[in-house]
Amino acid sequence: MATLSINNVRKQYGSVEVLKGIDLSLNDGEFLVLLGPSGCGKSTLLNMIAGLETISAGEIRIDQRVINGVHPKDRDIAMVFQSYALYPNMTVARNIGFSLEMRGLSKAERDEAIGRVAKLLQIEHLLDRKPAQLSGGQRQRVAMGRALVRDPKIFLFDEPLSNLDAKLRVDMRTEIKKLHQRLGTTVVYVTHDQIEAMTLASRIAIMKEGVVQQFAPPQEVYERPANMYVASFIGSPTMNFIRGTLSAEGDRLGVSVTAKGPSESGPSRFLPLAEAPAEADRWLGEEVILGVRPEAITCYDPAIAAGNPALVRVSCRVSVLEPTGADTITYIQLGGQEVVARIKPSDRPVEGEPADFMIDMSRANLFDPRTEQRI
Amino acid sequence: MTLQNPPFQPAEEKARPAPAGSGFRASAQRHLSKLVVAPSFAAILVFVYGFILWTLYVSFTNSRMLPVYDLVGADAYVRLWKLERWYVAIENLLIFGGLFIGISLAIGIVLAVLLDQRIRGEGALRTIYLYPMALSFIVTGTAWKWILNPSIGVQEFVRGLGFETFTFDWIVQQDTAVYTLVIAAVWQSSGFVMALFLAALRGVDQEIIKAAYLDGASLPRIYWGIVLPSIRPVFMSAFVILAHLAVKSYDLVVALTGGGPGYASDLPATFMYEMTFRRNQIAIGSASALMMLATVVAIIVPYLYSELKGGKRV
Amino acid sequence: MSSLTSSLPRADGAGARAARWGLYLILLLFAVWYLLPLVVMVSTSFKSLDEIRTGSLLSLPRDISTDAWSYAWTNACIGADCRGMAPYFLNSVIIVVPAVIISTLFGALNGYALTKWRFRGANLVFAMILFGSFLPSQVILLPMAQTLGFLGLAGTAGGLILVHVVYGLAFTTLFFRNYYVSIPDDLVKAATIDGAGFFQIFTKIMLPLSLPIMVVTIIWQFTQIWNDFLFGASFAAGGAQPVTVALNNLVNTTTGVKQYNVDMAAAMIAGLPTLVVYALAGKYFIRGLTAGSVKG
Ligand SMILES: Nc1ncnc2c1ncn2[C@@H]1O[C@H](COP(=O)(O)OP(=O)(O)OP(=O)(O)O)[C@@H](O)[C@H]1O
Ligand SMILES: [Mg+2]
Repeated sequence: MATLSINNVRKQYGSVEVLKGIDLSLNDGEFLVLLGPSGCGKSTLLNMIAGLETISAGEIRIDQRVINGVHPKDRDIAMVFQSYALYPNMTVARNIGFSLEMRGLSKAERDEAIGRVAKLLQIEHLLDRKPAQLSGGQRQRVAMGRALVRDPKIFLFDEPLSNLDAKLRVDMRTEIKKLHQRLGTTVVYVTHDQIEAMTLASRIAIMKEGVVQQFAPPQEVYERPANMYVASFIGSPTMNFIRGTLSAEGDRLGVSVTAKGPSESGPSRFLPLAEAPAEADRWLGEEVILGVRPEAITCYDPAIAAGNPALVRVSCRVSVLEPTGADTITYIQLGGQEVVARIKPSDRPVEGEPADFMIDMSRANLFDPRTEQRI
Repeated sequence: MTLQNPPFQPAEEKARPAPAGSGFRASAQRHLSKLVVAPSFAAILVFVYGFILWTLYVSFTNSRMLPVYDLVGADAYVRLWKLERWYVAIENLLIFGGLFIGISLAIGIVLAVLLDQRIRGEGALRTIYLYPMALSFIVTGTAWKWILNPSIGVQEFVRGLGFETFTFDWIVQQDTAVYTLVIAAVWQSSGFVMALFLAALRGVDQEIIKAAYLDGASLPRIYWGIVLPSIRPVFMSAFVILAHLAVKSYDLVVALTGGGPGYASDLPATFMYEMTFRRNQIAIGSASALMMLATVVAIIVPYLYSELKGGKRV
Repeated sequence: MSSLTSSLPRADGAGARAARWGLYLILLLFAVWYLLPLVVMVSTSFKSLDEIRTGSLLSLPRDISTDAWSYAWTNACIGADCRGMAPYFLNSVIIVVPAVIISTLFGALNGYALTKWRFRGANLVFAMILFGSFLPSQVILLPMAQTLGFLGLAGTAGGLILVHVVYGLAFTTLFFRNYYVSIPDDLVKAATIDGAGFFQIFTKIMLPLSLPIMVVTIIWQFTQIWNDFLFGASFAAGGAQPVTVALNNLVNTTTGVKQYNVDMAAAMIAGLPTLVVYALAGKYFIRGLTAGSVKG
């Protein structure tokens, strides 16, 4: 168990800077997920924490100790690789015990530790096999066992589940979560699967091109994304971005969405905001982007709408319905822009016809169209 | 071949020295990789590149029996290119190389394609086609010399069958001796070409063949129009290997003809040996060796360059 | 490896059958051509001189006589030395065994260092080593002879071992490098975190995984060095000569009656070790050939 702090860490390959000043700090027992698209530098950062890559600038501390120049084996970390990296020439037992072997533990001590971990992961019956004789899921467990056996201060996971099939992935995800709850060890976990990130993390760091875009608990990342990139990276279907102008109607601030194109003339729609944004004065009359998650748009229900002033009623033409079972993804036209709503299957509107919807403006976000940052 | 490796820069290139208690051991660890390669690299530097330079230097002296180190300019090259015997060696190399490469490629490809037709006993045939490659030219040359010898070999054998006037005495004739080299060399190396092409054929995507078959292409058309073009890089590899074997051919000549009759079947390799070690013409020998090197470089370097630059997918 | 055309239906009918017969005929004729020299060699080596004179090239020996073999092994004159091929055979063994072991070991280490612990310039180093495999030996004959003399190794087995190790490095490094490239780097990373050092990773993880390429390399080096003639002829003197040089001298000895059966037996003796290795491990030999062709 340990704290981890990463201070202005940079990584350069020749003239290319792949990490551009990363600042993250983790409390003891936290589960950090590094989330981002391929090539954004997640693995690089993880490898730097592990000591497998040099740190071009900045420093990394584990429990306040600067570990920049410390050899990986002396950092008291353990790592699980995407490919599992099991030693093909060794049995499962020896794979798990290898780090102890390297540390000079006696055979008896090793066997004891291996037995303990094998029991924890329910792989006792596999101990004498070679990695080639294991299924993907079993390999994954062995890889975890290899990390667990040393009882390190920090676990590092590099996309540990991405080689598993969908069902196994979900099972192992839950298992990792349980393990973490049980052991309470600090974890840094790399993935590009947003569900994994949301379910596992105590905090998520979303990265793009070597820069952390947002570092916050999952729910906050979801509800209050720091910028349009984060907003669109998390959530499926992605957040709707509706162009409009910040305007006032009476004493209420809102976004007016102007109809674009000749076919949809008529008055602009005014969507009143539930709370005024910071520096509202500066933005009045300026173009903004209204970010609304699909589930914040539902079919109009007078009973619900009456009790909640944040629910704004709009009438829109329905273009396409995509039932997914649990919900129906509905494409509607709002001020000439296509907007996605997630509605209950029972509310089934008719394709091509207008219908009434309500938008929960308390869950809306405003973004600056130029910087794409949250307002 | 890929030179581009997944990037992995282990901790040996630490940006900062390890903290207290590291000292010598840590710095040794950091450079172990280089230390391990260093002896081999040093050996190659000296014994390959250093020696090339040495030979180059000597070729610009007038060394005869022993190397001397006074530069006299390109004299040796001038004299080399005035030697009738050198021209014979070059001409032989062109004849030998051209025929050897061409026939080996042809036989190798034909055998590979034929063997690819679900042949019963393919394994055994393959083994038979390839075994000469495991033998020294000196060994097989002994057998070929006997077979080609007019008074005891094939000529005698056929005459024994009643064809009294049958003549097959290439090995003792000035103008045909070089062709016997071709026979033996093709015999030795064509199986290897077969193996190269067979491996490549087996790597061709079966789906393409099925698609072509469904389109109504005949088997010969499929091979000629689709399969062989798709393994073009192998032609390149095979050509380069055969060409450089041809330039380096030495054992074969020694074992089969000894460069004779006279020096009629000399190749540059035997010429070089003769000049350097028998005729006390070290400078000329060195100059001829450099000519060989230049030839090999001209063949190899563009090839290696394209292979290493990832240009292998043509 | 399945045949390229195995997914296509077989053709039927008389024409197709005739074509298949023709196919087998061609393949068998080629087999005969490839086997002919070996058959001639073997059968001649078991004939007596009389039978050679009276019989024909292709006839099999009437009564098998091993005299030529034992004579070639113990009595044949190589130059003025009439101890047969045996001492030279032994010379070859003395040269081959250490040269193969040392060059293979260095190749493995180089391959490991160049793939798993890449330093700046590793590619250049590899390319420079690789070039050695194409080097026409003629370029280095003279300086090598001088250097061996300088080192006091001229004419000795030690000198030849050195030469074979140095010029084998290009191949052994190539083999191991190309093999290790396909072993995931993650293994090395995992082992580093587990606390294994450079050499521990090599001995405990890489080497145990290297058996196939080890066999390929050993067989390749064994064949190359055993079959070498040029270096042996250039750098070994008199009693230290390898078996190929001895064979050539024996065959080209012009004094006395030409004993073709002894020549052939001697050739077989010189060729048997590599032939046996080929028969036993041809698969690995072929793999070496194709790998040695810089095909990656
Ligand atoms: N040794 C290297 N030399 C040059 N560039 C490198 C090297 N290693 C990584 N990079 C670059 O650094 C960037 C980050 O790579 P990294 O492996 O950290 O990405 P990632 O976020 O883990 O992606 P993925 O999700 O695909 O694993 C990439 O653009 C990659 O091309
Ligand atoms: Mg990655």
